[in-house]
Amino acid sequence: MRPRRSLPLLVPAAPAPCAVPLRGVALATGAARTAAELWLGVHLPGGAAGAQLAALAERAQRFTPRVSLEPPDGLLLEVRGSLHLFAGIGALRAALLGECRGLQLQAQLACAPTPFAALCGARAGRSFEILEPAQLIGQLTPLPLTVLRWPEDTVARLGRLGVRTVGAALRLPRAGFARRFGPAALATLDRLTGRAPEVRAAFAPGVRFRRRRELDCELTSHARLLAALTPLCAELGAFLDARQCGVTEFECRLVHRQHPATCCLVRLAAPSADAQRFIALLGEHLAALPLPEAVRACELRAARVVAQPPQAACLWQPGEHGGSLAREACGLIERLRARLGPEAIHGLTFLEGHRPEHAWSLGPPPATLGAQARSHAAAAAPPTPRPLWLLAPPQPLAASQGWPRRRGPLRLVSEPERIESGWWDGAEIARDYYTAVDAHGVRLWVFRERRAPHGWFLHGVFG
Amino acid sequence: MTAGGAAPAYAELHCLSNFTFLRGASHPHELIEQADALGYRALALTDECSVAGVVRAHMAAKNRQLRLIVGAEFRLACGLRFVALATGRSSYARLCRLISRGRRAAAKGGYALTRADLEAAGPAGCFVLWLPAPQPQPEELHWLHERFAPRVRIAVELLCGGADRARLATLAALGAQRGVPLVASGDVHMHVRARRQLQDALTAIRLNVPIAQLGSRLYPNGERHLRERARLARLYPPPLLAASVELAQECHFSLDELRYEYPRELVPAGETPGSYLRRLTEEGARRRWPGGMPPAERRALEHELELIEELHYEPYFLTVQDIVAFARRHGILCQGRGSAANSRVCYCLGVTSVDPQRGAALLFERFISRERNEPPDIDIDFEHERREEVLQYVYDKYGRARAALAATVITYRPRSALRDLGKAFGLTLADSARLAKVMQWWDGRAAIPERLREAGFDTDCAWLARLLPLAAELVALPGFPRHLSQHVGGFVIAEGLLEELVPIENAAMPGRTVVQWDKDDLNDLGLLKVDLLALGMLTALRRAFVLVNEFRGTRHALGELPAEDPGVYDMLGRADTVGVFQIESRAQMAMLPRLKPRCYYDLVIEVAIVRPGPIQGDMVHPYLRRRSGAEAVDYPGEEVRAVLHRTLGVPIFQEQVMQIAIVAAGFTPGEADALRRAMGAWKKTGGLDPFRERLLQGMRARNYPEEFAQRIYQQMLGFGEYGFPESHSLSFALLVYDSAWLKCYEPAAFTCALLNSQPMGFYAPAQLVRDARAHDVEVRAVDVCASGWDSSLERRADGAPALRLGLRMVKSLSQAGAGRLGAARGSCPFASVQDLAARAALDRGDLEALAAAGALAALSGNRHLAFWEVAGTDRALPLAPAALSPASRSEGQPLLRAPTEGEALVADYAALGLTLGRHPLALLRTRLEAEALLPAQRLRAAPDRARVRTAGIVLMRQRPATASGVTFLTLEDESGQVNVIVWERVGREQRRALLESRLLEVHGELQQQDGVMHLIARRLIDRSALLGQLLTRSRDFH
Repeated sequence: MRPRRSLPLLVPAAPAPCAVPLRGVALATGAARTAAELWLGVHLPGGAAGAQLAALAERAQRFTPRVSLEPPDGLLLEVRGSLHLFAGIGALRAALLGECRGLQLQAQLACAPTPFAALCGARAGRSFEILEPAQLIGQLTPLPLTVLRWPEDTVARLGRLGVRTVGAALRLPRAGFARRFGPAALATLDRLTGRAPEVRAAFAPGVRFRRRRELDCELTSHARLLAALTPLCAELGAFLDARQCGVTEFECRLVHRQHPATCCLVRLAAPSADAQRFIALLGEHLAALPLPEAVRACELRAARVVAQPPQAACLWQPGEHGGSLAREACGLIERLRARLGPEAIHGLTFLEGHRPEHAWSLGPPPATLGAQARSHAAAAAPPTPRPLWLLAPPQPLAASQGWPRRRGPLRLVSEPERIESGWWDGAEIARDYYTAVDAHGVRLWVFRERRAPHGWFLHGVFG
Repeated sequence: MTAGGAAPAYAELHCLSNFTFLRGASHPHELIEQADALGYRALALTDECSVAGVVRAHMAAKNRQLRLIVGAEFRLACGLRFVALATGRSSYARLCRLISRGRRAAAKGGYALTRADLEAAGPAGCFVLWLPAPQPQPEELHWLHERFAPRVRIAVELLCGGADRARLATLAALGAQRGVPLVASGDVHMHVRARRQLQDALTAIRLNVPIAQLGSRLYPNGERHLRERARLARLYPPPLLAASVELAQECHFSLDELRYEYPRELVPAGETPGSYLRRLTEEGARRRWPGGMPPAERRALEHELELIEELHYEPYFLTVQDIVAFARRHGILCQGRGSAANSRVCYCLGVTSVDPQRGAALLFERFISRERNEPPDIDIDFEHERREEVLQYVYDKYGRARAALAATVITYRPRSALRDLGKAFGLTLADSARLAKVMQWWDGRAAIPERLREAGFDTDCAWLARLLPLAAELVALPGFPRHLSQHVGGFVIAEGLLEELVPIENAAMPGRTVVQWDKDDLNDLGLLKVDLLALGMLTALRRAFVLVNEFRGTRHALGELPAEDPGVYDMLGRADTVGVFQIESRAQMAMLPRLKPRCYYDLVIEVAIVRPGPIQGDMVHPYLRRRSGAEAVDYPGEEVRAVLHRTLGVPIFQEQVMQIAIVAAGFTPGEADALRRAMGAWKKTGGLDPFRERLLQGMRARNYPEEFAQRIYQQMLGFGEYGFPESHSLSFALLVYDSAWLKCYEPAAFTCALLNSQPMGFYAPAQLVRDARAHDVEVRAVDVCASGWDSSLERRADGAPALRLGLRMVKSLSQAGAGRLGAARGSCPFASVQDLAARAALDRGDLEALAAAGALAALSGNRHLAFWEVAGTDRALPLAPAALSPASRSEGQPLLRAPTEGEALVADYAALGLTLGRHPLALLRTRLEAEALLPAQRLRAAPDRARVRTAGIVLMRQRPATASGVTFLTLEDESGQVNVIVWERVGREQRRALLESRLLEVHGELQQQDGVMHLIARRLIDRSALLGQLLTRSRDFH
């Protein structure tokens, strides 16, 4: 006697990152209904980015509410109930393939009474349409074992038994199989044949924030605009908090009567859900934003939502008892960026090396200030003092009788420091460096090329 | 660059060569030559905790004004750095002992010394130059001063760092405080500034960090080279420069002072070494010539003994005799090879086995010569699996302080240079390996752009243009040393403490110690060594004798088989020589049907003639023509006739060339030997020219035709380093005969012995077994119910031996597991796989290995069922009896299909490397036939110059260095083997197919000559896909 088939469960996915435990929800209530389940498996042989798979799932929801993801390259649809709406399985498949083409995805489809069988069929590229459970085993038999995506080791060990197809695996004695290859492998086979139920998580579309506010009267004042945007920012903060998420950027659109809407993109140095911070930043951005016309509506949008577990706040105020300087720095960088433009802010990195012009470089500002302080300490101190102000590129100096001049003759006050390095990247230098003093008593860092024509150059000025 | 008469005198006291591996960027001889050119008074070679480079420097300094000082640089665990310079013989000994102490205390390549070591075994008598850190620690100077005053100095090294004046002042103050004099030195890492880039690259390799990321770990400039004296005069105060010369004048030690003696303890009380050697020799002579020695031999023997006595070499011969006697006592086969075969004393002592009468006139001067004043060199082969016993015997007998192996200096080759430099330039490991692979046959000159492009490298890019010249510098002869390794078997044994002669360090292999000098260094200083080499064929022969004697009750032994058996020579004439010593290679097999050996001496010639020397010297064809009677045998003179009549007037051996130089050009034997050495090295040094005039003139004066003289000279060039000595060949031919006899009359035992002695020889087990079956030997499969670890002989119903493959053939089966299996089977046969697993306590890995090999067939049926059972065995619990283990419950029989023939074949190759089933190509034959690809058998029947197509598994690829780019392939199918010749152009154009195919389709033209067939390839197609997962690997020889 076959055991009574239990119900496939569809588990609704909670809003993506969520601390609420998952609960299964039985979708069908009678054995008769289950037997009639029909799953359409979609396999994307070229693979798909996470966003593409989600997009396909969103479109697939037009055929059935019961859609489930099988990342990275699979999708499942329960379509029994939809068959009559789409004029049968054939037409439904064609429609789904059309959606895939629309997303420029290559897809293989198969349908079967169990979700896993449908998926395996799709992976094998057999476009079978098994409508009746009785046909299932016969159709699965020739499929290669690889469609099950068992660990390589398991597949290899089965290969040594001459077992290379699903059918051959199904023929093995159950107890012996489980003892040799583990109960998990047996469970997979049971899900495949419908002997055991499969729980599938239902697909839920992604999280986005979009709020629009029609203004009571048209506004031109930045301050009043900011006041009007404040509740939207608070809403965004609450929205993110509820989901334990943060954003690294959000967009503010200001709608005018004639002109196209003015957009302003606010970038954050680190993900945040802090409404106060959003308001402060938005204020900085608005202040620099020219308005072509009065604003009649405003809208706040945030698309890139990232998970961000809440962090413990610091008990101390910044600066108090060493209260976190790093967090302060983030705020400072954001404000400077908002006022001076994103290109104006650089981080300074010290590099190890003998060539003065390669001893430091500009880069993006660091996420925290501490890291930079450490890297600076790690660089070995050069044997002689180096000027803080380096000229890039070094400035040629006039010379008379082999000695350098700059607004009068220069006096060399140090012994030479010879630096020959950098041949490996095409910026080789070979120079003798000296400290020189000019007629005004300014200390200069100059060098003489070791290669002909042995020119003199000014490379830096000591403070 | 002038010596600059006005410039002050200077001696460099701190200089590293490239024997401070991956730090120094110049060879010792380059440093010596440059220092001499700059007019230095002396140069101290102070490699870090090493004197590995000093012999080379010594030889380079010998004929110059420059004096070499021997020293070493050290860094103690606490960070203290100093240089120690030997002042005389005794301080040199202390220095060597300190180096040995540091090296023996660390793993290979490293050293570890602390201040305590210096307290216990300091370099007393040496000058100690303190190398202060960037921030000088006065305490270090204090410590050194307390122990080594008055020979302590402060090394002042001014390298244009920008603060030289301040440093000089600091050090001067410290010196004044302690009363320690200052001396100038240069921390030299390279002989000229131009090596700076290489030095940077070496630093990157040493630290395993790409150059671009090294930053301040590189030196800031190239000042660490041998600087001109005029420049030093501008940098250093004159007293410091003068101090260097004064110090150098107090270092009197020269390596020429080293005296070396072989151990004397082997001489029994009441005898002198001379009398004892004579006694042993006489005893041996009575064994060798039971009927009494012929008078000519007696005279030769007396001459030898006199010469040995005169040169005081008796202890050396006694040492060698003692080692050979040890091997005999323990049943380890051994046989001398090389020039020792020219010695009757060695023959009498049992060191060599070549009967001087069989070998005709032997040239004793090749072995020892009065003029040469150079130690004799005795090479002895031992069974490769038991040589370690002999080595450990030597270590035990003389102790680690008196005996050690010679070193081998491993130098950069194109492959390693490119791989290391690739990493230094920041390439990924995979890219460096790919680069090295592309250039594997690179000769260090122009790059081969199309190959690089083919492998996906941008040939225009700048880094490649920077990398290749550095690689060329690394591989340029004599090659940059990379590390010291152990010589294959050269032992140095001393009467006194060896470590006072040369430092001893640890080798990578546990239980091995090596001296810091290689065999050329030892030779240059006149130190004796004995080569204890490993030879696989001796192992195989001993095994074969044991097998045959046990099976048949005979008493066969090495050198005692029935001589000159015509059946053996018939077999050799058919080139039926798979497994036979020395003459089993493709080229040898091609020669055998032409030469058709009929006696021992023919084998001597056969061994020597298929060598690059005779081939390049164009001696093969004249010899074959004369042998077949197609060309008259003539001699340009009577003296030459005496030398060449054995080889029908064609010089084939190295000795013959030397003898012609003696009889036809008037060389003395010693000069002739110098000629031999020059012949070996002329490609490196070009040193043959001085001999050329001498030779041609000498022959002209004795009325030899100019043409003959020129030909002899050309042959010498051809011999180069590949000339094969007759003495070598004489010894090898003995083993050729014995192995051929066994193959001819006892093929089962012979194959069995070869299988048990793997890895050795030219052929893999698959070919050996295939060949044995072709000779009607029944080969039985590996079976847990019948096989031991080794392959063995079983008696068939008809009394003939059958070969049972051993468990050692099973890949990834542990020897320990196999041992337990044998023990458990001995008590009671196995009932099932579960029983086997429990009683032999085999783990899953061993069981799967057995199942994969099909060795469980007797217990469980086919491989699939075997794997099912193996997967179901539980690890036996230590206390639970097997019957109670949960796996014994019934689970029902699985429905598993039997493996197909193809599957079984793939599994056989994967687990055993061979199959007893059909050849893989037999399974593909229908398909190949449809494509008109002929099997080997059919090719043999095709006419000369026929255009044919074939396909086969690539057994071997050979690209002899002398064959100017030609690659030789051996293809195998179910009906035999085909030898394919791929000309350089074809190989270049179809490189990938040539190098990567496992199954290769070849279109080309047949060449049939004297029963030898070659296929000249025109087109190569990779058909490996047909093999599916068939796991055959070719053996590549370069």
